[in-house]
Amino acid sequence: MKKILIVDDEKDIVETLSFMLKAKGFECICAYDGEEGLNLAKNSNPDLVILDVMMPKINGYKICRLLKFDNKYKNIPIIMITARSQDEDKLIGEETGADEYITKPFEFSDVLEKISKYLKQNETV
Amino acid sequence: MTKIFLLINNEANSQIEDILSDKNNELMKAQGELEDILTQIHHFCPDIILVENNLENCEFIIRQIKSIAKNQNTQIIFLLHENVKTDILNLADGLVEFPLKKEVLLSTINSHFKIKKSLDRLYDNNKELSKSLYQLNVLYNTSSQFAGTLNTSKLYEIMIEAMEKTLSFDISSVLIFNQFSKPILYLNTIHTPSENLIDALKIRSILNYKTMFENTTLPHDKDFDEIEVIQKTKQSRSNKIYSIDSLSYDSLFAPIKVGDEFFGVVELFRQIPYTAEDVTCFQAITHQVALPLRSAKLYEEISSTNKKLEKLERIKSEFVSIVSHELRTPLTPINNSLEIVLSNQAGEIPPEAQNFIIMAKRNIQRLSGIIEDLLDLSRIQTGKLDLKYKLVDITPSLELLQKTFLQVAQEKNITINLEIKQKLPEIYADLRRIEQIFSNLVSNSLKFTPQDGTINVVAEVVLSNEIDKTKLISPYIDLKGEYIKISVQDNGIGIKEDDIPKIFDKFSQIETSLNRNKGGVGLGLTITKQLIDSHFGAIWVESEEKKGSVFNVILPLCDDFKIFEMDLSHALIASGNVGILKINYNKRIELIELLKEQKLLNITRLSKEILFDKDERKEYWAYIPKISISSFDAIYRTIEDFCIKISNDESDIILSKAHSEKDGIEVSKIINILNS
Repeated sequence: MKKILIVDDEKDIVETLSFMLKAKGFECICAYDGEEGLNLAKNSNPDLVILDVMMPKINGYKICRLLKFDNKYKNIPIIMITARSQDEDKLIGEETGADEYITKPFEFSDVLEKISKYLKQNETV
Repeated sequence: MTKIFLLINNEANSQIEDILSDKNNELMKAQGELEDILTQIHHFCPDIILVENNLENCEFIIRQIKSIAKNQNTQIIFLLHENVKTDILNLADGLVEFPLKKEVLLSTINSHFKIKKSLDRLYDNNKELSKSLYQLNVLYNTSSQFAGTLNTSKLYEIMIEAMEKTLSFDISSVLIFNQFSKPILYLNTIHTPSENLIDALKIRSILNYKTMFENTTLPHDKDFDEIEVIQKTKQSRSNKIYSIDSLSYDSLFAPIKVGDEFFGVVELFRQIPYTAEDVTCFQAITHQVALPLRSAKLYEEISSTNKKLEKLERIKSEFVSIVSHELRTPLTPINNSLEIVLSNQAGEIPPEAQNFIIMAKRNIQRLSGIIEDLLDLSRIQTGKLDLKYKLVDITPSLELLQKTFLQVAQEKNITINLEIKQKLPEIYADLRRIEQIFSNLVSNSLKFTPQDGTINVVAEVVLSNEIDKTKLISPYIDLKGEYIKISVQDNGIGIKEDDIPKIFDKFSQIETSLNRNKGGVGLGLTITKQLIDSHFGAIWVESEEKKGSVFNVILPLCDDFKIFEMDLSHALIASGNVGILKINYNKRIELIELLKEQKLLNITRLSKEILFDKDERKEYWAYIPKISISSFDAIYRTIEDFCIKISNDESDIILSKAHSEKDGIEVSKIINILNS
């Protein structure tokens, strides 16, 4: 089972997202602030990270940069969730090395589509 | 009356007195020691001095006399003894030889008296002239000083200083009214004024002011007990004190005003009476200060308004960030929850419930659409809309329109036709925004087209002279060359001709004909127009009530220059940013000329190295989207990082707007270093 790390300080978002991902056959681990998210990303071996931008302690861009500039973790795909959808945000994300973008409020099907680009889905519900 | 001073020996005395005793002559004879003689001359102020050349010390006395300004014109006539050698004749104005002849002496005195009088007149005129010249000079300097400042109290200082120089007052009393504070009385005096005098001047100035407005309302309703005094004494160490009697000095008074605007009153006191020239000079100064005072007042008003506006702008952008983040974040779990429920993964739901949940989902999409529109509008207005121009083919986007709106159209049984009359050339545009323009127009038409209607989307290439400029919503645009024209025609309710310009206003839906239940907040067309404008296009509407409307959009086909212009204006619109532009080497000199001509760029800020010392083999038209300051901060922590990045991109020109001068200069400096 593929393991997805969800990092967002909005518990409701984490909960609904993980519910749907679990229903689609993924294993989900969740973090509710940047620091916890970074720790889990480094220590729990996720196959993919879904990362919010605006978070307490360490923001999403920074986590992204820290992971992408570290040879040990740079192959983990990262999907950023941004509330701003502004082009310049995307630009920053691209520079920080994020693989994909989704804008709040997002359709679950979009998220799934983007995940499936990077992970072979395990369709055992 | 001729005043004659006699510097002669006793022997000649009686003879000379004889000759000169006449009621028209006033004689004085030197008496006593050297110093006594000088004092006598000093008090007597003679027109003519008769000097015997055999007199001891006569040279010294004459030199002393001539060195005093008021005696400069005094005529020296030597009485010459032939046997006495004398080498001071060059000091003489006239000569008479012994033995004295009455007629010779008298006529010499007479003619020298006339010379003296003429010289006196000349001297006086000269003095007047040089005083006027000095006053003029001061006035001239003052006026340039006035022009150099917008600080009110500085202006008063300059005025008082100018009056001190030109009118040498004993006391200057300037009462100034202020909109927001107490009236101020600037008291400038040579010696210390007494307490009584200060109080008297306070009362006098306010009385002067009130007398001026006797029959009308006072511009400032203030009284003397509210006056704040700022007092400066020039010779504060001197023992002299101005008592209340100083008020009886000669005085000059004037208001400081321009048009209806009143600033205060000035009064000067001087022991020595003022001349007519002084009055003119005084009026000139008080008049001159009024204009810059008005500018200063306007400037103060503008800067305080500006501060308020800046604050509002800040509040607005905070608001926008709240809208974007705080509204969108809660929408996300709502949307996701509904999706979960709809997918039946949280348990089966009855079909009726499903309909309502679909309705809720649709409205969330609408709501996020509105948020998106609001954000777009705010970005456009603050110049933060980031457009990424590329050469694009818009045909697929047009074809996509049919698909996108298929479902909505089917609900109302509306047919959407697409007619592309010829192969469309590529345009230089941000494709995402172009799609937004089209989809706004089509969704707008869908909203106002009744059941079973038709919408036609027609695309073709037109020449600028085929376009009726008068119909354009912004008719001042300069049309030239070829355009792609896209028309969206519907047979909906139409728009009254008068209402057509209004539909592009913010938050407008024509209340009478289009009611609110059509949905939307009325931002779609505003954004559409703004997006078209930023693509150097234009829009116009042809409509007939109850028959339908045609929305026509034209977007320019671009040659190299047009592309460059677009890049440039795009880079410049985003204020405070450092933009990077790659340009075709072959054309760069022409382009730089163009830039200079249009004053779009401060060319001096671009260093030659950046402009010319590049690899000449490179010929391309490429545009690196500018990197805004916000992302600049996020990605490149220092300007150096940023410079390494743009240096690697081998950009030819670094654009920076005037107020980000520092960044621009710094960047160009560092790039020069990197390049060398």
